[in-house]
Order: sequence, then structure tokens, then C-alpha cells
Amino acid sequence: MTSSRQLLIIDDEETIQTVVDFGLKLSAGWSLLKASSGREGITIAQEHSPDAILLDVMMPEMDGVATFKALQADGQTNEIPVIFLTAKAQATEKSQLKALGVSGVITKPFNALDLPMLISRILHW
Amino acid sequence: MAIFMHQRQHRSRFRHQRVRPRQNLPRLMGNVNEAIALLNHRGQFVATNALAAQILHNSSAQLKGQYWRDFVNTSLDFSQCHRGSQPTGKQVSLQRSQPGAPQQILEWSLTQNIRPRLHLVIFRDISDRKTQAEAALVQQQQQVELFAEVTLKIRQSLQLDEILNTTVKEVQRILKADRVLAYQVLKDGTGKPISEAVLPQHSAILGMTFPEEVFPLHYQQRYAQGRVVAIADVQDPQAGLAECLVEFVQQFDIRAKLIVPILTSPLLAKSSSPSDHGPAANHAPQPVLWGLLIAHQCTVPRQWNAAELALMQQLANQIGVAIAQSQLVENLEDIVDLRTTALRQQEEQLRLITNALPVLIAYVDRQQRYQFNNQAYEAWLGQTPGQLKGQHLETVWGSEHYQRMGLPVQTVLAGEMISYDHEMVGQDGEHRALNITYIPDMDGQGEVQGFFALTSDISDRKAIERMKDEFISVVSHELRTPLTSMHSALKILSTGRLGTLSEDGQQMLEIADDNTERLVRLVNSVLDLQRIESGDVTMEKQICNAAGLITQAIEAMQPMAQQQGINLVGQSQPLQIWADADYMLQALTNLISNAIKFSPAGNEVSINLEAQPNQTLFHIHDEGAGIPADKLDSIFERFQQVDSSDARRKGGTGLGLTICRKIIEQHGGHIWVKSQLGQGSTFSFSVPDPPTQRTSLSKHQP
Repeated sequence: MTSSRQLLIIDDEETIQTVVDFGLKLSAGWSLLKASSGREGITIAQEHSPDAILLDVMMPEMDGVATFKALQADGQTNEIPVIFLTAKAQATEKSQLKALGVSGVITKPFNALDLPMLISRILHW
Repeated sequence: MAIFMHQRQHRSRFRHQRVRPRQNLPRLMGNVNEAIALLNHRGQFVATNALAAQILHNSSAQLKGQYWRDFVNTSLDFSQCHRGSQPTGKQVSLQRSQPGAPQQILEWSLTQNIRPRLHLVIFRDISDRKTQAEAALVQQQQQVELFAEVTLKIRQSLQLDEILNTTVKEVQRILKADRVLAYQVLKDGTGKPISEAVLPQHSAILGMTFPEEVFPLHYQQRYAQGRVVAIADVQDPQAGLAECLVEFVQQFDIRAKLIVPILTSPLLAKSSSPSDHGPAANHAPQPVLWGLLIAHQCTVPRQWNAAELALMQQLANQIGVAIAQSQLVENLEDIVDLRTTALRQQEEQLRLITNALPVLIAYVDRQQRYQFNNQAYEAWLGQTPGQLKGQHLETVWGSEHYQRMGLPVQTVLAGEMISYDHEMVGQDGEHRALNITYIPDMDGQGEVQGFFALTSDISDRKAIERMKDEFISVVSHELRTPLTSMHSALKILSTGRLGTLSEDGQQMLEIADDNTERLVRLVNSVLDLQRIESGDVTMEKQICNAAGLITQAIEAMQPMAQQQGINLVGQSQPLQIWADADYMLQALTNLISNAIKFSPAGNEVSINLEAQPNQTLFHIHDEGAGIPADKLDSIFERFQQVDSSDARRKGGTGLGLTICRKIIEQHGGHIWVKSQLGQGSTFSFSVPDPPTQRTSLSKHQP
């Protein structure tokens, strides 16, 4: 948690992008790249190779699952760990998402200030 | 010489013949209409008259010197040798019968010593009389049999016509009367024979209506009082028959007649018609004249004897009873008809109603065969109720669906009502959700005769439920994203790193933060509850250690307890239960959190286990304010709190206990609370053991 990290958030909700940005910055000094759609996120991921991607599941057009599959299919991005952000709290849904091969699932609502701790735990940083 | 005495009146007649010479004796004896024998003291015949000789099948000359005892199987005792002693009236003795000849029966009387050593025996052959008596007996027997037969008929048959026909036929046969009638007196005073047995040579009068004049009212009244009329000869002026009647009866060749009234009990008849509660019902029962039983002798006069009269009266009485019975039965039949019609109407109404219902209604017998189906079955199965009747469940539904029915059918046939859901594809190819309820049909002894099956299409309801669930789910999820932003923003603000607020500003920020957290909990709870209620969640039951769960729950709630100054005490003795550990933990933390919230600082909250046969009890005890008795029942309902201000003050959602109850119920257990105001509350819940025994569970104990 000491080293400075750069993460990418892909979420159509701008307020989420903002609070996550503040939370990461204030609690751990990490920086955040922001994308509002799957396509935008893939492009940014290819360009900047972030340390991890926070990916919202429910998005219009290209949803989180499709985006994740696209990232996995791309040689430039398939090594980047992905954590889903979901409003679906049910255990079965969580395990379904995990089964896709993502590194972890974080359930909304969360406190953005807790994110660096949660992410470090999931990714064993 | 000898004076022969048989009867006193004879004696006086003989007395003045006493001086007649001895040779007159045979003539005298010949004139007497009795058999007479003179015996000496040894019992030998001295003289006999012609009749005596005839009876003894010998001539008087042959008999002379023979012994009486050789002819009659009783010897005479002449030991009492007083002259003129009273005749010993032996009743009957049997004559020694000749081979092959019919037995003769003699009646005799002995007068001893009419002269010294000379005894008089007067006797007669009564064999014929015996035959007559036997004939009378036979007739009597026949009458008894007839009476028995008619009585039996009356008991067996409630058909009045049949009873009357039998009676007149048999009476005619037994009495050898020319015509026997059952004559009914009608209300207007007229009357008609309604049953008749008549010899072919005489005219039948069956069905003729007789005018009132023939049978005037005052006659009726007398018959009603039981008058019996026996007329040996209607032409005899002493018979007292009015002249017009004599002419009238002569039309039908009637010469002698015997008339007995047929009376019925008005009470019996009355009780049969429930609508008739007239004042007459209160009077003492007066017999009512229904009609007459009449025997006619045509052409010649006939003297009616007492036995015939008695027979007619007894039969008339029986007919009276039969009439009362048949009236009763007719009335009963009317009532039954009425009720049957009413029942049919009800059944028809029921059919109309059941047919109009969008529910499948059926009655299934113990052999699992349909006995009733409403019209709705046709739309579902393409078979009419008529086609379904008598068919076995498996034949109708197919083995796949029948398999699903098996257990519920077994349950209902064991006498328990059961309700279950089932899904199938209807005739129209649409997928349908069904709710099926079986209700056992018990007889008076508690034996199951069959069951009622009510099947309703709950596809619409299921769809609405799904919509509701989806709505709650979507709303809850949609709330989560803005909540995340609010929650995070407030947390970030309250760090003070974006600038410091005034003390008031800081307080407002705390309120916003606290309530955002509460909103988060509420959304989580609503979602939990919806998931459990919708059945989306199945409890993943496994063997787990109850004490371990309590320890985990205490650990989770420790920060909150410390904050409130509450000491948590839990049981650590291991005890295996059969539960979904995650949900059980949720229930425990909910209850512990509740107990902490409602306990004053410095108190203790204890969590204990109690092993019972077939189940384990959890007790969560606090020393708080307690719950008023009137709130104990409703406390597990959603959004019920003891004090509506509690929700705000304690930061609860009002759903915690409801969720607990749902979780416990999903485990097949119960939850309840005992409380005393000012002394705290104990929330308890039970967790049933798995179908296997506790002993097998304890093997897994650590």
C-alpha cells in the first residue's frame, strides 16, 4: 500500500468516479484513470496499462462482463487484474462473477476511503 | 227294575218307569240316544243296547259275558259298592282299536250298583267330534297364520294396496265368504271398495262409488266408536236393516254380512304431516274411521261366529296400523322428494358455481380416482368431467406429474391437509404455475374417505410476485450506486482533509453520515427479506457448531457492545446443529445487536444454548426495559418497534426481527420472546435436528 499505484475505473456514474478518486487519493495517495464506458475503458487500459481495473457490472451498451471478456481477449490488457464493482449483493451472483475469472468483487455501497485496503487484500499487494 | 240314569233330567223321566217289567229294558235302551251297557261286578257285559253294540262292533248277544276291559283300555273300578253312588265321569278313553281301523274315542260315564252288583255305563263315540275339534283347530290355525301373514306383509310392505289385496284375498279364503271388501270412506261421506276378493259367480263391486245415503254420517260415527255389525240374514226383519238398504244390498246378492271398522290413529297420521299443527293435535287421540272391512255371504244367510268376528277385527286393526304407517311413509317420501329436489338444485348450483370458478375443483376417492371434477378441468386437460370420473390420478396426469403428487396425496390420505406448488404446461402450451391444496374428507370415525383437490392457476400471481421481487431488487440495486456516492462523499468530508467545518457543520455532517449508513442497512435488509421471502434463497444446511456461531456473532458485535458499554457473554460448550451457518450468523447478530441496542450501559447480554430432544434452543437474554405484553405478538412483524421513536433513536431498520423470523422459519424452527417490563427480555429460537438422529450428529462433535 506504500508504493504509488495507478488504477482505472470504468463506471458510467461520474459521481462514483469522483468519490473513488478522492477515496484512493486521500487514503493511499493512489491515482485514478476514469472511463465512462467499456470501450473507453479498454482504450485507456491499452494506452496506460494501469495496476488494476475497477469495473462496474451494470453499464449501458457494453456491460461489465462484456468489457471484462474484451480485456481478457486483448494481449495488451489480459494481464491487468480486474475487480468488479456490483450493486448485486447476493452470494450466488458474486460467485457467478468470480467464476468468470476476475480477481475480486466489491459490493456497493462501499466507503471509497476503504477501497485501498479492500483492493490490497484482494490483490495481495 | 233297573233305572238308568245319565243326566238328571233323564233321571226324573226314568223314575216313574221304575215299576216297568224287565223285558221292557231292551226297548227302553233302544230308544235312548246313547250307548248303554249293563255290567256285572266283574266287568262283564250283561246287556247292551243297539247303539252300544254298534260302537263296539259286536251284536248284543256276542257281547254278553265279554269283559269291558277287553274293549276299552281302561278297566272299571267297582270297589265302591254303594248303591246309586255318583257316576264317575271319566272323560275319554281309547278303545282297543281293530287292526287297520281308525282309532275310536269314547266318552263314558259309570253309575255303580244301580242294582246290587249291576252297573250302568253310558258311552258315546266322540271320534267325529274330535275331528270337528281338529277342524276348528285347523281353522283357528289358518286364521292365526293369516293374521301373522298380514301382519308380516304390513311390516314388510308399506304398499297399502298390496296389504289390502292380501287381506281381502286371505279373509275370503279362510272365511269361505263369497265376497270380502276393503271399503274406504271418503271425506264427502261417499265411499268405494278399493280392494275386493269375490267368487267368480258373484258380481264384483270394486271401484264403484257408493252415495252418502248408503252410509250416513251417524253410521260413520258409530263405526268410528268401534261398532261391529254382523248380520246373518239381511232379509230378516230383526236384522234392523232399513228397507232401502235391503234393496240396495240385494242388488249385489248380499244375504249376510259382517262389517268391522278400519280405524287409524289420528296422532300417527298427523305427525306425518309437519305442516298440520292444528288445535286437534292437542286433543286426546280419537280413532278416525278410515273405512270398513266387509265380508259378504251371497244368496244364503250365514251365522257369523265369534272367531270370524275376532279375526276380522284383528285384521282391521292391523290394516289401521298399516294405513297410518303408509300415510307416514307417503309423507316421508314427499319430504324426501322435496329434499332430494332441493339437494339436486343445490348440487346444480354448486356445479354452476364450481364451473364458473377459475379453479380446478375435484373430489378424489381413497383409491385415488376422480369422483367429481368441475368444468375447469376440461379447459386444462381436454377431458370432460364425465370422462374423468372414475379415472386414476396417474392415468389423468401421467407418471411424471403423478410422481410430484405422490407425497402430497399420501399425506392427505393420512388425514392431513396439504398445500404445494407445481408447474406444468397447459393444453394451450402455456407454462403455468399451480397451487394445489388437498383437503382430507373424513367420515364420522375419522377414517379418510378421500380428499378434495383445489388447484388454482397462480401464474398471474407468480408473475406479479416476480415483478414485485424484481422491482424491489432493481430499486435496491439502483439505490446502492447513489448511496455509495453519498456515503463515500460524506466519509471523505468528515476526514476534514478537504477543509474544516464549524462545530454545527460537523454535527450536520455526522447526521447525514449516520443516516446514510442507516439507509444502507435498510436497503440491505429489504433486499435480504425479499430474497428470503421470494424463496430465491435456499438454506444451505450443514452440520455446524452452535457455540462456534455464537462466538463469531459475539466477535462481530463486540465493537458495538463496547461502544454501548455492554458485556457480551456466550456459551462455549460445543453443540452440533443443522443449519446454514451464514444465515444463522445473521439471525444471531441481528438478535444480539437488538439486545445491545435496548440495554442500558453496564449491563450484560447473554447467549445460551439448550439441547432438547429433536431440537436446539438459542436464548438471547438482555436486562433492558423489556417489552409490553401487547407488543410481544407483533414484534416480529416488519416495521414493528416497541416505541416508534426507537427506530430513530436506536438506528434500527424495523426489519431485523422479521428477517430473523424468516431465517428461523426457513430452518423449520420457531422464534419467540418472553419479557417482563423493567427486567429484560429473552428472545429464543429453535433449530430442529436433521432427520437423522442427534446421536449420529454427536459423532461429528469436536
